[in-house]
Amino acid sequence: MTETAVDILEQFAGGDAVAFEELFRQYQGQVYGWIVRIVRDPAAAEDLTVETFWRIHRARARFDPRCGFGPWARRIATNLAVGHLGARRTETEFSDDAPPARARTSPPDPALTAEVRRKVAEAFGKLPAKLRAAATLAMIEETPYDEIGAALGISVGAVKSRVFRATRLLRKSLIGAGVEP
Amino acid sequence: MNESDERVERLVRRAIGPLAGAELKRDLWPRMQARLDPPPVRVPWWDWALAAAVVLCLVAFPAVIPAVLYQL
Repeated sequence: MTETAVDILEQFAGGDAVAFEELFRQYQGQVYGWIVRIVRDPAAAEDLTVETFWRIHRARARFDPRCGFGPWARRIATNLAVGHLGARRTETEFSDDAPPARARTSPPDPALTAEVRRKVAEAFGKLPAKLRAAATLAMIEETPYDEIGAALGISVGAVKSRVFRATRLLRKSLIGAGVEP
Repeated sequence: MNESDERVERLVRRAIGPLAGAELKRDLWPRMQARLDPPPVRVPWWDWALAAAVVLCLVAFPAVIPAVLYQL
Protein backbone atom coordinates (compact mmCIF):
# COMPACT_ATOMS: atom_id res chain seq x y z
CA MET A 1 0.00 0.00 0.00
CA THR A 2 1.36 3.44 -0.91
CA GLU A 3 1.85 6.15 1.68
CA THR A 4 -0.95 8.22 0.14
CA ALA A 5 -3.34 5.25 0.35
CA VAL A 6 -2.49 4.73 4.01
CA ASP A 7 -3.01 8.43 4.65
CA ILE A 8 -6.46 8.31 3.05
CA LEU A 9 -7.40 5.27 5.13
CA GLU A 10 -6.24 6.94 8.32
CA GLN A 11 -8.09 10.12 7.44
CA PHE A 12 -11.22 8.07 6.73
CA ALA A 13 -10.92 6.25 10.07
CA GLY A 14 -10.60 9.66 11.69
CA GLY A 15 -13.92 10.73 10.16
CA ASP A 16 -12.68 12.80 7.21
CA ALA A 17 -15.55 13.23 4.71
CA VAL A 18 -13.26 13.93 1.73
CA ALA A 19 -11.31 10.71 2.38
CA PHE A 20 -14.59 8.79 2.52
CA GLU A 21 -15.68 10.23 -0.81
CA GLU A 22 -12.35 9.30 -2.35
CA LEU A 23 -12.65 5.73 -1.05
CA PHE A 24 -16.26 5.56 -2.25
CA ARG A 25 -15.30 6.62 -5.76
CA GLN A 26 -12.36 4.23 -5.80
CA TYR A 27 -14.22 1.16 -4.54
CA GLN A 28 -17.86 1.57 -5.60
CA GLY A 29 -17.30 -0.34 -8.85
CA GLN A 30 -15.58 -3.24 -7.12
CA VAL A 31 -18.20 -3.46 -4.39
CA TYR A 32 -21.05 -3.28 -6.92
CA GLY A 33 -19.39 -5.90 -9.15
CA TRP A 34 -19.07 -8.28 -6.24
CA ILE A 35 -22.64 -7.78 -5.02
CA VAL A 36 -24.23 -8.10 -8.46
CA ARG A 37 -22.46 -11.43 -8.95
CA ILE A 38 -24.21 -12.71 -5.84
CA VAL A 39 -27.67 -11.14 -6.14
CA ARG A 40 -27.83 -11.04 -10.00
CA ASP A 41 -30.01 -7.94 -9.94
CA PRO A 42 -28.40 -4.61 -10.93
CA ALA A 43 -30.99 -2.41 -9.20
CA ALA A 44 -30.73 -4.35 -5.93
CA ALA A 45 -26.94 -4.36 -6.27
CA GLU A 46 -26.91 -0.56 -6.52
CA ASP A 47 -29.05 -0.26 -3.40
CA LEU A 48 -26.85 -2.73 -1.55
CA THR A 49 -23.70 -0.90 -2.66
CA VAL A 50 -24.97 2.33 -1.12
CA GLU A 51 -26.05 0.43 2.00
CA THR A 52 -22.60 -1.17 2.22
CA PHE A 53 -20.87 2.21 2.17
CA TRP A 54 -23.40 3.59 4.64
CA ARG A 55 -22.47 0.82 7.08
CA ILE A 56 -18.79 1.39 6.34
CA HIS A 57 -19.26 5.05 7.14
CA ARG A 58 -21.03 4.29 10.42
CA ALA A 59 -18.37 1.77 11.44
CA ARG A 60 -15.37 3.92 10.42
CA ALA A 61 -14.16 4.29 14.02
CA ARG A 62 -13.67 0.49 14.20
CA PHE A 63 -11.76 0.35 10.91
CA ASP A 64 -8.11 -0.64 11.13
CA PRO A 65 -6.21 1.00 8.22
CA ARG A 66 -3.52 -1.72 8.35
CA CYS A 67 -6.07 -4.38 7.30
CA GLY A 68 -6.98 -2.71 3.99
CA PHE A 69 -10.25 -1.22 2.85
CA GLY A 70 -11.13 -3.63 0.00
CA PRO A 71 -11.43 -6.85 2.04
CA TRP A 72 -13.38 -5.05 4.77
CA ALA A 73 -15.80 -3.54 2.26
CA ARG A 74 -16.23 -6.87 0.50
CA ARG A 75 -17.04 -8.63 3.76
CA ILE A 76 -19.74 -6.11 4.63
CA ALA A 77 -21.07 -6.24 1.06
CA THR A 78 -21.24 -10.03 1.15
CA ASN A 79 -23.18 -10.05 4.42
CA LEU A 80 -25.69 -7.63 2.96
CA ALA A 81 -25.98 -9.59 -0.29
CA VAL A 82 -26.58 -12.85 1.58
CA GLY A 83 -29.20 -11.10 3.70
CA HIS A 84 -30.85 -9.86 0.52
CA LEU A 85 -30.91 -13.38 -0.93
CA GLY A 86 -32.45 -14.66 2.28
CA ALA A 87 -35.21 -12.08 2.04
CA ARG A 88 -35.95 -12.99 -1.56
CA ARG A 89 -35.32 -16.71 -1.39
CA THR A 90 -38.58 -17.82 -2.92
CA GLU A 91 -38.14 -15.74 -6.05
CA THR A 92 -36.63 -17.24 -9.17
CA GLU A 93 -33.72 -14.87 -9.71
CA PHE A 94 -32.29 -16.77 -12.65
CA SER A 95 -35.55 -17.38 -14.45
CA ASP A 96 -35.86 -16.82 -18.20
CA ASP A 97 -39.12 -15.00 -17.43
CA ALA A 98 -37.28 -12.51 -15.25
CA PRO A 99 -37.87 -8.80 -15.95
CA PRO A 100 -35.35 -6.96 -18.16
CA ALA A 101 -33.75 -5.26 -15.14
CA ARG A 102 -32.00 -8.53 -14.32
CA ALA A 103 -28.27 -8.73 -14.89
CA ARG A 104 -27.06 -9.90 -18.26
CA THR A 105 -25.53 -13.34 -18.15
CA SER A 106 -23.44 -15.14 -20.70
CA PRO A 107 -25.69 -16.97 -23.17
CA PRO A 108 -26.75 -20.32 -21.73
CA ASP A 109 -25.92 -23.55 -23.50
CA PRO A 110 -28.31 -23.77 -26.51
CA ALA A 111 -28.32 -27.53 -26.17
CA LEU A 112 -30.35 -27.16 -22.98
CA THR A 113 -34.07 -26.64 -23.38
CA ALA A 114 -35.74 -23.59 -21.86
CA GLU A 115 -37.65 -25.96 -19.59
CA VAL A 116 -34.45 -27.45 -18.14
CA ARG A 117 -32.93 -23.99 -17.67
CA ARG A 118 -36.06 -22.84 -15.86
CA LYS A 119 -36.02 -25.87 -13.58
CA VAL A 120 -32.35 -25.41 -12.78
CA ALA A 121 -32.97 -21.71 -12.03
CA GLU A 122 -35.90 -22.59 -9.78
CA ALA A 123 -33.89 -25.21 -7.93
CA PHE A 124 -31.07 -22.72 -7.48
CA GLY A 125 -33.48 -20.06 -6.24
CA LYS A 126 -34.75 -22.40 -3.54
CA LEU A 127 -31.32 -22.90 -1.96
CA PRO A 128 -30.78 -21.34 1.47
CA ALA A 129 -29.15 -17.92 1.11
CA LYS A 130 -25.74 -18.86 2.53
CA LEU A 131 -25.46 -21.95 0.32
CA ARG A 132 -26.75 -20.05 -2.67
CA ALA A 133 -24.19 -17.27 -2.31
CA ALA A 134 -21.33 -19.76 -2.00
CA ALA A 135 -22.66 -21.87 -4.89
CA THR A 136 -23.20 -18.85 -7.15
CA LEU A 137 -19.68 -17.61 -6.62
CA ALA A 138 -18.04 -21.04 -6.84
CA MET A 139 -20.10 -22.89 -9.43
CA ILE A 140 -21.30 -20.12 -11.74
CA GLU A 141 -18.76 -17.33 -11.37
CA GLU A 142 -15.87 -19.75 -10.72
CA THR A 143 -14.42 -17.52 -8.03
CA PRO A 144 -11.47 -19.06 -6.13
CA TYR A 145 -12.54 -20.68 -2.84
CA ASP A 146 -10.12 -18.63 -0.74
CA GLU A 147 -11.62 -15.41 -2.12
CA ILE A 148 -15.14 -16.65 -1.32
CA GLY A 149 -14.05 -17.70 2.16
CA ALA A 150 -12.50 -14.29 2.88
CA ALA A 151 -15.66 -12.51 1.75
CA LEU A 152 -17.98 -14.78 3.73
CA GLY A 153 -15.69 -14.79 6.76
CA ILE A 154 -15.33 -18.58 6.72
CA SER A 155 -12.55 -21.06 5.97
CA VAL A 156 -11.92 -22.65 2.58
CA GLY A 157 -13.12 -25.93 4.09
CA ALA A 158 -16.39 -24.32 5.10
CA VAL A 159 -16.82 -22.92 1.57
CA LYS A 160 -16.30 -26.40 0.11
CA SER A 161 -18.82 -27.75 2.59
CA ARG A 162 -21.42 -25.16 1.57
CA VAL A 163 -20.87 -25.84 -2.13
CA PHE A 164 -21.11 -29.57 -1.47
CA ARG A 165 -24.38 -29.16 0.44
CA ALA A 166 -25.74 -26.87 -2.25
CA THR A 167 -24.88 -29.43 -4.92
CA ARG A 168 -26.64 -32.19 -3.01
CA LEU A 169 -29.75 -30.05 -2.50
CA LEU A 170 -29.73 -29.05 -6.16
CA ARG A 171 -29.49 -32.65 -7.29
CA LYS A 172 -32.40 -33.61 -5.05
CA SER A 173 -34.53 -30.68 -6.32
CA LEU A 174 -33.68 -31.40 -9.94
CA ILE A 175 -34.51 -35.09 -9.63
CA GLY A 176 -37.77 -34.07 -7.94
CA ALA A 177 -38.50 -31.75 -10.89
CA GLY A 178 -37.82 -34.55 -13.37
CA VAL A 179 -34.38 -33.35 -14.51
CA GLU A 180 -31.65 -35.97 -14.41
CA PRO A 181 -28.33 -34.16 -13.95
CA MET B 1 -16.73 -34.57 -5.12
CA ASN B 2 -18.10 -37.50 -7.07
CA GLU B 3 -19.10 -37.75 -10.72
CA SER B 4 -22.76 -37.10 -9.95
CA ASP B 5 -21.95 -33.85 -8.10
CA GLU B 6 -19.74 -32.74 -10.97
CA ARG B 7 -22.62 -33.35 -13.39
CA VAL B 8 -24.86 -31.10 -11.27
CA GLU B 9 -22.19 -28.39 -11.29
CA ARG B 10 -21.76 -28.63 -15.04
CA LEU B 11 -25.53 -28.49 -15.58
CA VAL B 12 -25.85 -25.39 -13.39
CA ARG B 13 -22.98 -23.71 -15.22
CA ARG B 14 -24.54 -24.51 -18.60
CA ALA B 15 -28.01 -23.38 -17.55
CA ILE B 16 -27.00 -20.21 -15.70
CA GLY B 17 -24.08 -18.45 -17.31
CA PRO B 18 -21.73 -16.14 -15.41
CA LEU B 19 -22.59 -12.45 -15.42
CA ALA B 20 -21.64 -10.75 -18.65
CA GLY B 21 -21.81 -7.16 -17.40
CA ALA B 22 -20.91 -6.72 -13.76
CA GLU B 23 -19.59 -3.20 -14.14
CA LEU B 24 -21.29 -0.22 -12.54
CA LYS B 25 -23.13 1.90 -15.11
CA ARG B 26 -23.33 5.15 -13.12
CA ASP B 27 -21.78 7.02 -10.25
CA LEU B 28 -23.55 6.21 -6.98
CA TRP B 29 -21.97 9.08 -5.05
CA PRO B 30 -25.04 11.39 -5.36
CA ARG B 31 -27.18 8.67 -3.75
CA MET B 32 -24.58 8.11 -1.07
CA GLN B 33 -24.40 11.82 -0.39
CA ALA B 34 -28.19 12.00 -0.05
CA ARG B 35 -27.98 9.18 2.48
CA LEU B 36 -25.22 10.90 4.43
CA ASP B 37 -26.81 14.35 4.57
CA PRO B 38 -29.57 14.46 7.15
CA PRO B 39 -32.83 15.81 5.74
CA PRO B 40 -33.47 19.48 6.60
CA VAL B 41 -35.58 19.98 9.70
CA ARG B 42 -39.05 21.15 8.63
CA VAL B 43 -41.18 22.84 11.23
CA PRO B 44 -44.91 22.41 10.54
CA TRP B 45 -46.90 25.62 10.08
CA TRP B 46 -49.00 25.01 13.19
CA ASP B 47 -45.84 25.02 15.33
CA TRP B 48 -44.97 28.43 13.95
CA ALA B 49 -48.56 29.58 14.59
CA LEU B 50 -48.40 28.31 18.16
CA ALA B 51 -45.07 30.05 18.77
CA ALA B 52 -46.47 33.29 17.31
CA ALA B 53 -49.57 33.03 19.53
CA VAL B 54 -47.40 32.56 22.63
CA VAL B 55 -45.23 35.55 21.71
CA LEU B 56 -48.33 37.69 21.06
CA CYS B 57 -49.80 36.68 24.43
CA LEU B 58 -46.59 37.58 26.20
CA VAL B 59 -46.40 40.94 24.42
CA ALA B 60 -50.08 41.70 25.09
CA PHE B 61 -50.02 40.55 28.71
CA PRO B 62 -46.47 41.01 30.07
CA ALA B 63 -47.76 40.52 33.60
CA VAL B 64 -48.19 36.80 32.96
CA ILE B 65 -44.45 36.33 32.22
CA PRO B 66 -43.44 35.80 35.90
CA ALA B 67 -46.35 33.35 36.30
CA VAL B 68 -45.26 31.43 33.20
CA LEU B 69 -41.64 31.38 34.36
CA TYR B 70 -42.76 30.17 37.77
CA GLN B 71 -44.56 27.22 36.13
CA LEU B 72 -41.47 26.18 34.12
